[in-house]
Amino acid sequence: MSSSRRDFLSHAGFGLGSVALSQLLSPSSANAESGALSALHVPPKAKSVIFLFQAGGPSQMDTFDYKPELTRLHGEELPDEVRKGQRLTGMSGNQSSLPLVGSPFKFAQHGESGAWLSELFPHTARVADDLCFIKSMHTEAINHGPAVTHVQTGSQFPGRPSIGSWLSYGLGSENANLPAFVVTVTKNKSGQPLVSRLWGSGFLPSRHQGVQFRAGDEPVLYINNPSGLSTQSKRNMLDSLRELHSMQLKESADPLLETRISQYELAFRMQMSIPEATDVSSETEQTFSLYGEDSRNPGTFAANCLLARRLVERGVRFVQLYHQGWDHHGGLPGGLRRQCQETDQASAALIEDLKQRGLLDETLVIWGGEFGRTNYCQGKLSENFGRDHHPRCFSTWMAGGGIQGGISYGQTDPLCYNIEENPVHLHDFQATLLHLLGIDHEQLTYKYQGRRFRLTDVHGHVVEDILA
Amino acid sequence: MTRHILRLTIVCLIGIALPVSGDDEIRFNRDIRPILSDKCFACHGPDDAHREGGIRFDQQESVLREADSGLHPIVPGDPDASELIARITSKEEFVQMPPADANKPLTAEEIALLTKWIETGAQWEDHWSWVPPVDPAVPDVSDSSFVKNPIDNFILRRLEQASLTPNAEADRATLIRRVTLDLTGLPPTPEEVQAFIADESPDAYERVVDRLLGSERFGEHQARYWLDAARYGDTHGLHLDNYREMWPYRDWVVSALNDNMPFDQFITEQLAGDLLPDPTPSQLIATGFNRAHVTTNEGGSIKEEVQVRNVVDRVVTFGTVFMGATFECTRCHDHKFDPFTMQDFYSMYAYFNSIDGNPMDGNRKDHAPILAVPSPEQSEHLAELNDKISQLQKDKQKDWPELDAEQAAWELALSEASDPDSAAWSVLTPQEFTSSGGASLELLEDQSILATGKNSPTDNYTVVAKTSGTEWQSVRLEGLTHESLTDAGAGRSSNSNVVLTEFEVFTAPIPENNADPKWTRVKLTGATADHEQSNGDFKVTNAIDGKKKTGWAIEGFAKKEPHTAIFTAETPFGSEEEFLVRIVLKHESVHSQHQFGRVRLSLSEESPVHTNVPAEIRTIAGISSDERNDEQKNKITAYFRDKITKSEDYIAVRDALTQTTKERDEFKATIPTTLVWKEKSTPEPAFILERGEYDQPGEELSRRTPSSLPPMDEEYPNDRLGLAMWLIDSDHPLTTRVTVNRYWQQFFGTGLVRTSEDFGSQGEPPSHPELLDWLAVRFVDMNWDVKQFMKLIVMSHAYRQSSVVSPEKLAKDRANRLLSRGPRFRLDAEVLRDQALYTSGLLVERLGGPGVKPPQPEGLWFAVGYSGSNTVRFEPDSGPEKVHRRTIYTFIKRTAPPPQMNVFDAPSRESCTVRRERTNTPMQALLLFNDPQYVETAIALAQRGMLEGGETAESIAERMLWLSLAREPEQIEVDRLVDAYKQDLETFQSEPEHARELIGLANFPIDESIALPELAAWTMCGNLLLNLDEVVTKN
Repeated sequence: MSSSRRDFLSHAGFGLGSVALSQLLSPSSANAESGALSALHVPPKAKSVIFLFQAGGPSQMDTFDYKPELTRLHGEELPDEVRKGQRLTGMSGNQSSLPLVGSPFKFAQHGESGAWLSELFPHTARVADDLCFIKSMHTEAINHGPAVTHVQTGSQFPGRPSIGSWLSYGLGSENANLPAFVVTVTKNKSGQPLVSRLWGSGFLPSRHQGVQFRAGDEPVLYINNPSGLSTQSKRNMLDSLRELHSMQLKESADPLLETRISQYELAFRMQMSIPEATDVSSETEQTFSLYGEDSRNPGTFAANCLLARRLVERGVRFVQLYHQGWDHHGGLPGGLRRQCQETDQASAALIEDLKQRGLLDETLVIWGGEFGRTNYCQGKLSENFGRDHHPRCFSTWMAGGGIQGGISYGQTDPLCYNIEENPVHLHDFQATLLHLLGIDHEQLTYKYQGRRFRLTDVHGHVVEDILA
Repeated sequence: MTRHILRLTIVCLIGIALPVSGDDEIRFNRDIRPILSDKCFACHGPDDAHREGGIRFDQQESVLREADSGLHPIVPGDPDASELIARITSKEEFVQMPPADANKPLTAEEIALLTKWIETGAQWEDHWSWVPPVDPAVPDVSDSSFVKNPIDNFILRRLEQASLTPNAEADRATLIRRVTLDLTGLPPTPEEVQAFIADESPDAYERVVDRLLGSERFGEHQARYWLDAARYGDTHGLHLDNYREMWPYRDWVVSALNDNMPFDQFITEQLAGDLLPDPTPSQLIATGFNRAHVTTNEGGSIKEEVQVRNVVDRVVTFGTVFMGATFECTRCHDHKFDPFTMQDFYSMYAYFNSIDGNPMDGNRKDHAPILAVPSPEQSEHLAELNDKISQLQKDKQKDWPELDAEQAAWELALSEASDPDSAAWSVLTPQEFTSSGGASLELLEDQSILATGKNSPTDNYTVVAKTSGTEWQSVRLEGLTHESLTDAGAGRSSNSNVVLTEFEVFTAPIPENNADPKWTRVKLTGATADHEQSNGDFKVTNAIDGKKKTGWAIEGFAKKEPHTAIFTAETPFGSEEEFLVRIVLKHESVHSQHQFGRVRLSLSEESPVHTNVPAEIRTIAGISSDERNDEQKNKITAYFRDKITKSEDYIAVRDALTQTTKERDEFKATIPTTLVWKEKSTPEPAFILERGEYDQPGEELSRRTPSSLPPMDEEYPNDRLGLAMWLIDSDHPLTTRVTVNRYWQQFFGTGLVRTSEDFGSQGEPPSHPELLDWLAVRFVDMNWDVKQFMKLIVMSHAYRQSSVVSPEKLAKDRANRLLSRGPRFRLDAEVLRDQALYTSGLLVERLGGPGVKPPQPEGLWFAVGYSGSNTVRFEPDSGPEKVHRRTIYTFIKRTAPPPQMNVFDAPSRESCTVRRERTNTPMQALLLFNDPQYVETAIALAQRGMLEGGETAESIAERMLWLSLAREPEQIEVDRLVDAYKQDLETFQSEPEHARELIGLANFPIDESIALPELAAWTMCGNLLLNLDEVVTKN
């Protein structure tokens, strides 16, 4: 900061509050911004969250929920006593036959915990002892739009704040020069759509909405100066702007104007802090090889995992990754293999990298999608089969901050259709997530349209058994 | 982590209580009801299913009588005898209210208020918003110098109670900017400001107001508030989020506002335009209001569920927009706070569920029911085409004697032609059959060959059989169906279609000693088939034209039927001896796997032909012409003239008709359409849906308005029209209040009721209840005249006063709810962009039309888009008439709204919004600094300053300041700007390539007289000005 600016500010006898002034003058970029909660409800275990969201609904019995019985009954009809007349989606609901299909992938046990993983996850297998596999996740939604919205906002209907927004609102930011809630979407994936409302702030003030970091020259919208404009020119312009504002402030000490001045300065600082956070050139060769070759290619899942680690290092509260393409209505054997190749190594690398840096203890890492897939095939049974949506059970893993590693929780029936033991509803998952960050999910509320809303609606129980 | 674990304390960001200072009297609705509602109603309120202790704190008689416990909740005048007080002051676990686990503790102030209220007699009032507004007396005030109209009496009275005085009137420049922005969404020009300052006549301000109300910009600006409420967007909003064509509705709103359509008519046409007698197209367009909700066509969606979602959105929107009611709660249970039940909800649902159309949008822009909305030119052109068509039809139907003769000859030939079915066919028994593509061929009992197994992209079948006879004339190919084939049709391709590219016949004597046969090709000259694919060139003669690329197709995707082709030889073939016949079926088309799946081959000594004449026509031809009835005559004549005749004159007319009809239909498809309402002839039944689930219908309900509100007049039709009439009845307590409150919110930034979406007991009570009622009554008195009403507001002193804030006022009236100063807040997204375009001279003003796409950062649509969507990739428009239009015309893709809007808190239009948040974020600063379009306006402002400002830096700076601020700049401001300019000028002069780069962002011509480094330096000043607080704020 130029000394003239400092002089100017210290001489300006206008009503900038002392806090605002100190923020403005803070040479450090690590100034925290407090949230709506003045105190936490329970001792926090995690400070940040990285959610590796696998959009489309990964198949649980081909990934983490090993079902030899299903393989044995391959080709046989789904028994009515298992289905219990439950509704199916419009896509397989009219099928005359629902033949069971066993997983074509080999499963093996890994780590001291002996977790069963399919052969598609050679890297994740390496860190199995750090992970907690929840086999008994369930939801009500059977289509992507409502289901993803449900995971992210606690409601199937649009309009509620997403998890990251709740955390930004409740806990504030550890680094005010970066957004508290960052979103990345793997580039060049297609499939079921994502909607920007998934990282929207709903009825919370919009400063809590997720900020999407994009691959390429402009990591955040409008972060770059127009071409031809140097940082110095921008600084000059801001200085002139500030001087004009200060004249106005002298006439009328308006808090609105004070806020605006500080937001302009923050914007200027973000123009430095964001490129710094996204610039991976200082990362070592070792790190790149840990995350895989893809991590050198911005916008890939691997690069986004690496970016996520850099962001939590810098105090970002919630990093939401999206990786589309898990919606295997057909061509599952090839499609699933490809999805796993794109995500397995980097997911495991993230765990290892965080651990090496001593960050895993305070960072909660989550891997999962919006629902599971059917144990029967969609359409006729063939080698290139697919599976339809299945909300009654799916698998998710959690690791790090406050989570007991090396365990498996919940159990599905031998055909992987219904849950037999310890069901975990999305709202329970959300309640647990908040708990790990020190929040009682019933007490983080926001009053809107006369009602106190919360992430877990009127449901949710903390899954105590998986806590460390 | 530095946090301590403490008891829950949530900083309450909203719901700042109004200061009670200066007004010690406790008012139930203002002071008490909000506490009871927030802390007690959930368990002791309107919801029958979840009521505890037999107490309702929303009803006076309930709180005064004995509760289930035998105790009296409230004994007026005696707090000690009131169980309510005992409970709220208790610390005992099972006694304390609200219970600890409700997380709603009462504050000490609240307990004191309740106690004092009971002490002073526990006065009760009905909830303020559910009793009709009465015309309150205009209060007297001690200092009438601030009174411009009665609004000021109400405002002043309240200020006096708080010992505050209003500010003096804002200076003229500030005032004209404020009112011009508020009424038209654009700032005044420097010339308008100067003229107003110079105008000393007493009605100078009023004349400005009248001029603004008469401007077409008025409707363009006011419409966007309504479009937020109506959730208007240019895509369907869910899943594929495809384009939806509905902008005629947006234009309807703009023009209704410009025409000053009375508000009662405005809402009636939107709710029920289709039910008005002989509705005009304009009234039908208005019904788009109930179609503007988001829709889906997601695969796997359940139609009934989607229908319920659509109807629920209509009911919820109706509740919010017209009644300030939070109906959504009553979808799944009785309202916890307000007297609305699930019965009420689904009885209202019954008004909105009888639309004559599919709830799924089909991913079509014209999701029926729709209305075509041609422009006058389009109507005219369409009429011309229709005239031409009717003339051609007349020509076609006139007498054509030359055709009759030709027809008679054709009929004769037709009746004599031999028929393939009656000819004698000898079925060949294949001896050898091979597939070049590796398919498994199998001979079935009926001598047909079935192909299974490998299904190569192309495949040729060769069949060899033995036969004898010398007079073979024809070869018949039967393509038969089989259950193993795709869709049990005749083909092997995924769509069941077949393309036979060549059909070849050879003969050979039977060789001796296993020698190779010596094949002779049989020349085929004729080919007919019972069916040829109707689109494209797939006639059967393609199979004997020797060309690999052409072929005969059977249209198997449409018809899963067997098909037959007959090939005739130039001369009869065969021999007395037994001989070999080899037939080759080639399937070599570009259409992969378009092979026959089952074929049978036969020979005949006759030459029957497929005439392709339908059996019915052949039958008529067999009847002698004088024995045919009129219908038969017409049929055969029509057939002959459509398909057979060679008369050039007639064909010319016929083809012209076809061509013109096609032209007309294509033209019609370019005429814009808009989604409208069309009611089913019989209403759909409506049921209560348990827990709001579409598949849990309970009791059937008929249409009825909520029972806690005045009932609908029995004279009214019990449909949406009656509903609209009910809303505008003089005793409806909500419609007017909710509406005038929204207008107030527009001008003052906050409504008299801050929660403009919720007038229920959880909403905030009005800051000035009498004023709200007075305004509501005036609005009806002035026959719902919107412009006159807005004029009333902007003529008040409350509106015209200066917005400068003093420390005293900041302390006593921080949020300006008492209006101790004029309104001051950041401009909305649309106004910001429009202002930048306008002051820089770039704005292109043109009313209406399809949405336009000014540039935005790349990849925003693609990142969220569905690959199959027609809005997956954003393609910016070009040309000023598209990219420099007012923001109301910007295309809104609802799943990825334009950042220029949503960064500044504009809603995504996915659901009804009647109040925007107003935030202040660094993202906004970045956008104003760096968005290419804002940079472009800075360049334009700089150029304009240089061209209009004169020679010196001072005069240019002055002009730019004038344009941006709409006021006379102060010398120090001019100096600052000139300093900034000079600093940047040095930089750009030493790096002229940077100046060129920056100016390259302009999509308009740069004046040749202008030096780029200077323009670039002034551009930085322009960018600065566009970011100036005074510019981005209404003052």
